[in-house]
Amino acid sequence: MPESKKFLVSSSPHIAAPGSVRQIMLEVSLALFPALLCGTLFFGAYALFVVGLAVGSCYLFERLFNLIRKKTDTTGDFSFLVTGLLLGLNLPPWVPFYVPIAGGAFAMLIVKMLFGGLGKNFANPAATARIFLLLCWSSAMTTFVQPFSGGFFGGFSTMLTGPDPGLDGVVGPTPLGGGEADLLSLFLGNVGGCIGETSALALLIGGIWLIVRRIIDWKIPLLVLASAAVSVLIFEQDFSAVLPALLSGGLMIGAFFMATDYATSPNTLWGTVIYAVFIGFMTVFFRTFSNYPEGMSFAILLGNILVPLLDKFLIPRPFGAKGPDRPKAAGEVRK
Amino acid sequence: MNKFTFRRGVHPPDRKSRSEGEAVRAMPAPGIVKVPLSQHIGAPCEPVVREGETVRKGQLIGHTDKGLSARVFSPVFGRVTGTEVIQTPSGGRVPHLVIENGGEGEEFRLPPLSDPGPLEIVERVREAGIVGMGGAAFPTHAKLTPPKDKPIDTLIVNGAECEPYITCDARLMEERAAEVFEGGLLLQRAVRAERLVFGVEENKPEAVRLLREAGAEVAVLKTKYPQGAEKQLIYALTGRKVPAGGLPMDVGAVVDNVHTAWAVFRAVREGKTCYERVMTVSGGAVSAQNLLVPTGVSFAEVLEFCGGLKAEALKVISGGPMMGFAQFNLAARTSKATGALLFLTAEELNTDKAGPCINCARCARACPMRLMPMYIDGFTLAGDLPGAKRYGALHCIECGCCAYSCPAKRPLVQSIRLAKKLIKARNI
Repeated sequence: MPESKKFLVSSSPHIAAPGSVRQIMLEVSLALFPALLCGTLFFGAYALFVVGLAVGSCYLFERLFNLIRKKTDTTGDFSFLVTGLLLGLNLPPWVPFYVPIAGGAFAMLIVKMLFGGLGKNFANPAATARIFLLLCWSSAMTTFVQPFSGGFFGGFSTMLTGPDPGLDGVVGPTPLGGGEADLLSLFLGNVGGCIGETSALALLIGGIWLIVRRIIDWKIPLLVLASAAVSVLIFEQDFSAVLPALLSGGLMIGAFFMATDYATSPNTLWGTVIYAVFIGFMTVFFRTFSNYPEGMSFAILLGNILVPLLDKFLIPRPFGAKGPDRPKAAGEVRK
Repeated sequence: MNKFTFRRGVHPPDRKSRSEGEAVRAMPAPGIVKVPLSQHIGAPCEPVVREGETVRKGQLIGHTDKGLSARVFSPVFGRVTGTEVIQTPSGGRVPHLVIENGGEGEEFRLPPLSDPGPLEIVERVREAGIVGMGGAAFPTHAKLTPPKDKPIDTLIVNGAECEPYITCDARLMEERAAEVFEGGLLLQRAVRAERLVFGVEENKPEAVRLLREAGAEVAVLKTKYPQGAEKQLIYALTGRKVPAGGLPMDVGAVVDNVHTAWAVFRAVREGKTCYERVMTVSGGAVSAQNLLVPTGVSFAEVLEFCGGLKAEALKVISGGPMMGFAQFNLAARTSKATGALLFLTAEELNTDKAGPCINCARCARACPMRLMPMYIDGFTLAGDLPGAKRYGALHCIECGCCAYSCPAKRPLVQSIRLAKKLIKARNI
């Protein structure tokens, strides 16, 4: 072996843990699959189509942005899939077809790519796009069909306009909007609501999987839900109101999948605690006092904009930075 | 039983099984050795032998009085033919003394000491040119002479060997347990510490057993990287936190590597000077082994002695895969601190391209110094050095846990190193 043979040189460390950004994104997408499945079962094939449109729109607009900006294509990281799924699952099942497309465009172009793409966005693209859509198409975004209504392929007949809000037996209020529902229906998702947010069971399966795989921080969903529960008690003074509040609306999907978004959640322990408690509280606050029945996306958006401040003012003290501990007696062993 | 450990860190695959069963073999010195005149942190040595002079194995060849330094000795019996400036494994260029190997001869030894006092031990450590052989190569005698107001109560012998692949310390503890223990006792006496404790990771049960049999107090450490980092080890064993910018002596501790302890044993009891060391050669591209190598041997010669490459090596690393230095060729020479030489194939290495940070905070969760590497990286790349400093860049120990755990494979250590250099250079 001659001394002069050349080898690759780079900075240490030379090895890396398995896993990649793409793998994380695919696992999060997989974790959303139970919710997608439940949404399709309860609300029919059109719901699946809506989610597909949202995903496709996110993909296309990310590609388009890179094309126009003459940048390398970034869709290979599959983050568009997570955003698209979350956006789609956050839409009413029979929403007109252009709504998910517009939502995908807003999420990717305005919220994500204009701020620098993956990891640089300050707010959750899906939650922000949902707010955008709610403000633009208020009626379509608040018209919810009941589960199993109109047949499995029923939604396609109204895809251009959305269902008539007065359509009896099909359209009805969600539990948050004053509809009646027992706890079991709420838990399984057999109630009116957005495609992916009704089934607490499906979201729990996916969320717990992500916690077990250490992809999301367990503290965020736990604290969001706990804080929401306490807030319900404060505002309603009724223990029986707690579980329905936790199981209905976007709280579950928000707590497990949207508040935990890496780019828009804090990186310190205390930042995480403040952020999660704030989101839980604000969700219930909006539900109680605002004109909208649901407040999760607003709460997440507000939480998101707290993050830069939290990460700026809660820098952890480096190991040993506060000065020496009092020397312990020689020979003393810890624990 | 509760195992001793620190907080955070990572669990890289240890890949020690390739070489841990291989007994240490002595590698004979080649025809010509080129001994680096700077094998330590501190002032480089001046040659004390002239061209053409005959030297004995173990004889002093490099020395300086200019500040902190460690003496350099000839690893062979032979003739000095000149000096040559060659690259070091860490990328610097230093003068090397070229010595023609003249075969066997009588080795130079210092007089063995049977019952030395603390000062005699420190003096002997200095005379024998012993440095921290865990890799940092800090002159050991300096560590053993703390100022009067910093009493030392605990001498920790570091046998954690937490870097993957490396097994030289493990072999030493297994093959020379009694000698390593006695080296530890000598170090303990040198600093007048009340307690002597060996820290060994639990993946080396045989070393733990043999050291205990020899009479040593051994604390079994959790197998976790960087368990052997000085501050983390002290915390694991004593619960004391070395203050930022401080030294172990500030919390009454001195940490020495097991190989250093063995070198101290040999210097005191056998009068041997420091010119050779045990080194692990491993990696997927080579047949793994543990060697006793003389200083001044080129990496190419080490590889040749090990039978050459058996697969394509993408990277050659002096040291471990977490903190070692990648070599662009095999011209660098072994020194007192070269504990490992790894020939790694593409499959063993990270070859992924870096992507954008997704802010997942895995680096922050892995950092044993409790830093937020993603922000230091971001601030550094944006040219905001005060920002990088505010997020603790100067506290970084460069262990590599952040970059190891990064799913976007960002070279975080590289940018933190850059930040440290620039912050110091520009006095920010």
